[in-house]
Amino acid sequence: MFYPLAGKIIPWFAWPAGILFALGMFVGFFIAPTDFQQGDAYRIIFIHVPASWLGMFLYILMALYAGVGWAFNARLASMMASSLSITGAMFTFLSLVTGAFWGKPTWGTWWVWDARMTSTLILLFLYIGFISLQSSIDDPRRADRAGAVLALVGVINVPIIYFSVQWWNTLHQGATIRILQKPTIHGSMLWAMLIMLAACWLYSVAVVLIRLRCIILEREQSANRFAEVAV
Amino acid sequence: MNWPDLSMGGYGFYVWGSYLFALIAIVWELVSLNHRKKAHAREKVAPRILRGSANETTS
Repeated sequence: MFYPLAGKIIPWFAWPAGILFALGMFVGFFIAPTDFQQGDAYRIIFIHVPASWLGMFLYILMALYAGVGWAFNARLASMMASSLSITGAMFTFLSLVTGAFWGKPTWGTWWVWDARMTSTLILLFLYIGFISLQSSIDDPRRADRAGAVLALVGVINVPIIYFSVQWWNTLHQGATIRILQKPTIHGSMLWAMLIMLAACWLYSVAVVLIRLRCIILEREQSANRFAEVAV
Repeated sequence: MNWPDLSMGGYGFYVWGSYLFALIAIVWELVSLNHRKKAHAREKVAPRILRGSANETTS
């Protein structure tokens, strides 16, 4: 029942994602003014910040689905966790790369082992560990259980990433957008960032659903093959 | 509306470099998903073909 439904709703996320990407780039490059301190180098935030947020958020979602799959033996939830892991890893990798591209002109270095960057690198390793662990175990149920343990243990890293700029004296700047406080950036910059965040979010939903359909098919096919061999 | 300076005030390499990386990552993800979907389509057809040829040889 889920498989055809997912197929039907994918375009409702994919097309708006494309439109919002274009709109976000337009606002970010044509409307948002040049920053008085960082010049045009700051425009990297329109991709860096959404990628960083999604890297963290998708990890929490992945761990949640993996935990539900493990606790309630819900196969669809475990498959959803597998599907989320690759997109989450991609956004975390993108966050690190775009952060390095931003760090070089503003800090004078591509990389430093400060708390925010190191904990984000650990997040990427957790994603890679989850993906490797799942693909190294042939039995999908055992793979799901092993992955769930790793995902749940790794959740502790997400608040460390988020609060690292407050807990430690880091080179990375503090948060410019907080839930309970007024943002400290120009309105058009904020809008460009939020539009790009929405675009990345819609893109993630579409891509995760496409991959989930593939995983469902793969598991069905391998179960059928096993049944044929058993007969 | 401001027309952006393509050199990004001397930071063009860093700004465009980061967006190029983002584009490559997204294209890579979409292409790999497409390959995965195509592989399923092939796998769906392959057992049917195999079963068909097996029937032909046995009949």
